[in-house]
Amino acid sequence: MRFFLLLLLISFFGCSSDNGTIKIKGSDTEVNLAVLLAEQYYFENSGLLVSVSGGGSGLGIASLLNGNADIANSSRSIKYSELELFENRKIEIDSFVFAQDAIAFVVSEKSSLDSISTETISKILTGEFQNWSSLTGLNMPITIYGRQSNSGTYDYVKEILKINFSPHAMQMNGNAQIIEALKVDASGFGYVSAGYVLDGNSKGLKILPVYHGGSTAISPLDVEAIASGEYFFQRPLFQYYRKVDYQKIKPFLEFEQSKTGAKIIQQSGYYPVDLR
Amino acid sequence: MEKKRIIGLFSGLVLGGSTLIVVLFLGIILWDIFSKGFPSLSWNFVSSFPTNGMTQGGILPAIIGTVLLTFITTLFSVPFGVACAIYLNEYARPNTLTNVIRASIRNLAGVPSIIYGLFGLALFVQALNFGTSILSAGLTLGLLSLPYIITTTEEALKRIPNSLREAALALGVTQFETIKDVVLPKALPGILTGVILTLSRAAGETAPILFTGVAFFINGISASPNQEFMALPYHLYMLSTQHNEIEQVRPLAYATASVLILLVFLLNIIAFYVRFKNRTQD
Amino acid sequence: MNTVKREQIDSLLKFAFKGAGLLTITLLGGIFFMLFANSILFFLNVPPLDFFTGSQWDPENHYSIFPLLVSTFWVALGSMLIAVPLGIFSAAYLSEMAPKKLQIVLKPIIEMLAAIPSVAIGFLGIVLVGPGLAQIFGIQNGLNALNGSILLAVMALPTIVTISEDAINAVPKSHREASLALGANKWETLFKVTIPAAFPGLIAAVMLGLGRALGETMTVLMATGNSAAIPKGFLDSVRTITATIAIEMGEVPYQTTHYYSLFAIAAILFLITLAVNFTGEFFANRLRKFHS
Repeated sequence: MRFFLLLLLISFFGCSSDNGTIKIKGSDTEVNLAVLLAEQYYFENSGLLVSVSGGGSGLGIASLLNGNADIANSSRSIKYSELELFENRKIEIDSFVFAQDAIAFVVSEKSSLDSISTETISKILTGEFQNWSSLTGLNMPITIYGRQSNSGTYDYVKEILKINFSPHAMQMNGNAQIIEALKVDASGFGYVSAGYVLDGNSKGLKILPVYHGGSTAISPLDVEAIASGEYFFQRPLFQYYRKVDYQKIKPFLEFEQSKTGAKIIQQSGYYPVDLR
Repeated sequence: MEKKRIIGLFSGLVLGGSTLIVVLFLGIILWDIFSKGFPSLSWNFVSSFPTNGMTQGGILPAIIGTVLLTFITTLFSVPFGVACAIYLNEYARPNTLTNVIRASIRNLAGVPSIIYGLFGLALFVQALNFGTSILSAGLTLGLLSLPYIITTTEEALKRIPNSLREAALALGVTQFETIKDVVLPKALPGILTGVILTLSRAAGETAPILFTGVAFFINGISASPNQEFMALPYHLYMLSTQHNEIEQVRPLAYATASVLILLVFLLNIIAFYVRFKNRTQD
Repeated sequence: MNTVKREQIDSLLKFAFKGAGLLTITLLGGIFFMLFANSILFFLNVPPLDFFTGSQWDPENHYSIFPLLVSTFWVALGSMLIAVPLGIFSAAYLSEMAPKKLQIVLKPIIEMLAAIPSVAIGFLGIVLVGPGLAQIFGIQNGLNALNGSILLAVMALPTIVTISEDAINAVPKSHREASLALGANKWETLFKVTIPAAFPGLIAAVMLGLGRALGETMTVLMATGNSAAIPKGFLDSVRTITATIAIEMGEVPYQTTHYYSLFAIAAILFLITLAVNFTGEFFANRLRKFHS
């Protein structure tokens, strides 16, 4: 037993130093991107450990508030109520936009729907339209595949359309599960980040171009439209951090802005900020 | 008479059939996971880092994380659990209070694991300010393991006949020496079996570590206790529900599940071996 | 070593063991305290009446445990409908019919089933049971209460089989012999004498299995779809108390109403599992007395 304790002391407290780690938490949309960045970062600068977790934007911001994260990834801007909590605890924070994202509305490729208006999207998501019959003529109930309430995507869609989701909407654990479900569900209707339906991932799916009011329908995969900010469901991806931690996380933020970083962002299906 | 024979046959079929179904459950689980997991298993898989956004490469950090985590769990739960059992069985007077304590401990073994997670969050992450770290998670799993270790250790101690203790004490040996030289050596195999089985449970737990320190991905290995970590069961959860290229990583998820199950079975086989050896010696 | 020194060591270590024992017990007792202290803080903000009678779990607006409670029991009930007959019949087969050699093979198999981590079972819910159910019932998605029930049944089975078997074995041989002597055949003896005599033990088995099903997190989190509406059938998606804690605990800022609410639902779950386990324990004790 004494031997074990000694081993513990040597192995743990011998090399314990908190400064060597950056904890990144938050948005499910951004998590894969953050993993890729962390991976590459390790090759170029192996001195600094980076641990990455997803779970949703709310989780990231809460973790930042609770002191369990150094960088909170968030696919929405911070809420007033959250800001208040930071103020109450006298924590000063700052943000950094590192990419742009577009939300894609997705159905099975078997659907005859070719484009969709924001108004129709609202009606489906609130549960007002429960059947496809009024949209495609097929008599089939609509199954909504959405995200859990801790997801930034969920909040974003809810806020921008000013709706409350139907309680029957499936709350999936992540973008990936939604795609998985939609591929086999001809009655499904879901929303995911455009980054998730790029290239090979959209097999079996149809990504609906969206129009708002009288505008023309725009696809979330249209790079130029995103760059000029024309797509209705597009948003900046934020990283929030405590001001006191800036020096610690600076090398990583700089890496994200570097050429290598921008390349990774682009390859992952997001739009680097400087495109605008 | 004919009717009775038919009823007999039917009952036999129902009972035998039920047993067959239970066995089939295990068969299906193992067959599905192993047949799809083994093709992706390789030395490279268990010895390298995940690469390319966790769509390729191995699960080395998750294996190391699970081993370190279980190590912390052991360091915390085994000494305290065994000491607590020794206190209850050897020192404490058998009165109502002791019985209440014993009953509480037994029932704590039935408390849902996620509640231990909440407690770990409130105590280790917040109150003791360990943050989300492998230390907090290991201690949380340690708490979860304590009731099992205490109960199994006490059972092992109870099996030692009192005549042995009395004989030792009559020789003028102190109580501690009796415990150390007579009781513990005799009870060791029983205690060991319980400990290993408990640890195999702890190693496969996911819920208690969800918010006490586990991470999706870590880009290097560090043995620091205030580090976040990757763990096999959480890695499987993440690959099967959270990853963005779920189909591409399915084989990795299957292979991770295979490694996790093999690890747990290995621990169980060791425990059975200890128990078996002990039985044949008696 | 002289006697004085040995006795000093002895009393010192007695003190140490007592200290370790009491510390452990205090820590475990801390779980009660933590749950209920935080629950009280929650009920200072949300009236208990709303909590128990409302119909919506929509954090920050409505905190009602009702849909979660219904979901939890719904899934657990389904799992018991599957696991209880299977478990008791298997136990009867193992103790009354199976040849000794088969018993030696079957028992470790059932213990192996208990050893499989819950996350692996949940994984199978996604890749195997879910798609299977979707095909059988012609529904689009297999992530629902039935999926959770099947998986929980698999997880509760080892407990139910093992304890039921002990209960059936504990029925004295004389009971069976008397029945056989009166002219009853093997089956009549089993169903009319042995199983009724083992009844308290079987209840213990079911209760402890139920306790496991109610408290399981990962399997239901992965396999049931997690929609917080009150389920109408087994093919509806459900969200249990455990899954709600797992989903929401990470996202809440500490020391807010939402944070306390999760402790409150955990406290309710704690009380439920405690009651179920105590009932099981009570009957298991009766079995033990019967045995000795």
